[in-house]
Amino acid sequence: MNTAFNDLPLDTKLSAWLDDELTPEQRAEVDAWLRDHPDDTARVRLWAADRDALQARLSPALDEPVPTRLEQIVWTHAPVEAPSGWLRVAAMAALFVFGGALGAGLMWGWQDRAATSRAASGWVQRAAVAHAVYVPEVRHPVEVGVVGANAIDSRAQEDHLARWLTKRLDVPVKLFDLRAQGYELVGGRLLPDAAGPSAQLMYQRIGEPAAPRVTVYLRRPDSATPAAFRYERQGELGMFYWVEGPAGYALIGALPREQLLAMAEAIYRQGQN
Amino acid sequence: MTAPTAFRQQLLTTIPRLRRYARSLVFDASLADDLVQTALERALAHWHQFDQRRDILVWVISIAHNAHMDERRRHARFSVVEPDALQDGPDALHAAVPDPGLRMDLVAALARISVEQREPLLLVTLEQLSYAECAEVLHIPIGTVMSRISRGRAALRALLDGHAPSPAGTRNLRRVV
Repeated sequence: MNTAFNDLPLDTKLSAWLDDELTPEQRAEVDAWLRDHPDDTARVRLWAADRDALQARLSPALDEPVPTRLEQIVWTHAPVEAPSGWLRVAAMAALFVFGGALGAGLMWGWQDRAATSRAASGWVQRAAVAHAVYVPEVRHPVEVGVVGANAIDSRAQEDHLARWLTKRLDVPVKLFDLRAQGYELVGGRLLPDAAGPSAQLMYQRIGEPAAPRVTVYLRRPDSATPAAFRYERQGELGMFYWVEGPAGYALIGALPREQLLAMAEAIYRQGQN
Repeated sequence: MTAPTAFRQQLLTTIPRLRRYARSLVFDASLADDLVQTALERALAHWHQFDQRRDILVWVISIAHNAHMDERRRHARFSVVEPDALQDGPDALHAAVPDPGLRMDLVAALARISVEQREPLLLVTLEQLSYAECAEVLHIPIGTVMSRISRGRAALRALLDGHAPSPAGTRNLRRVV
């Protein structure tokens, strides 16, 4: 992109400028051009407006309930070659014999078992899904970031984040300090849980933003009964979860057990004070 | 070996955005869900090819793109609304084709730009992919992504302004990539 930048048609440069795909030097060049060319500036504004309009127009699809058939495919799909020949025919025949209701019942039963593993209750599962959704986000990992231009700025944003989440969750939200464990806070977001809102705090490895991130999920527990530390592993992901005082905590990350445990203990200690 | 539970959970989280993207490709909601279904099935059949360090959404969208291209090749009339096709046929999009000089509805205008321009434009503006990710999904060079997006933008704007998308005022948009 660098070498031939000057040869690109103007529209291509402006378009890449709008998409934030330029190097700082290229960006400065386009900035200067736009200052001197109000017509082009107006054109780029219209493109930006079209972009926003497209998002507004097409995004309601995100809020529609996912059709059951699509979810079932994800839970029940198995390679075609696995149950082969007569076995497969027999299985299908059995489903017909037992009737649709029973068949559906079996399917859902299977799905339940697949969805909730042994110990984890629903909210821990939701914490794991929220982790899987937001951790790979490069551009919008958090709703409120705490990485400011300077220390004072960052501090102000941290205060804002803690106050905002505490207010919405009705649970005192602390921004746990995991720097001793090598992780720094990126920011947080508010999420829907079954009964009310929950919060997700995201941490990244200091100096290694591309390393696997860690999230802390916070919610109001269903009952105030404290629950001991539990550990569970789902594939690469490890999670610790517990209930203490007014909050349920889940710590999730693709890290070895010992490393997660050290963080869980730090969070537990900081939650006490 | 079938896909592990953790992978299935990850895949589930992509469905809403996959549906939105599919709908911007084929417009009809139930055809779009058929495309989503095909993409999910392919993803599950090839789950072991997914590199956990990558963004699963980008991976699944690229599968959906391939599935869509296969589908288009198979049935020429697979509900892809190309400008030529808009001349005839009774569906709602066709009804939206305006007289020249009339401002066009956004979605109708989107349907009128070629799928080659529409896809990168949507991947970047709607799905917020980077140009590099977009190039990977569409199997085209970044330079091509850049020029198709800018041409797509200009074409969309021309339609919304009530101009036909190609001729005057778009000199640098006619260059064939």
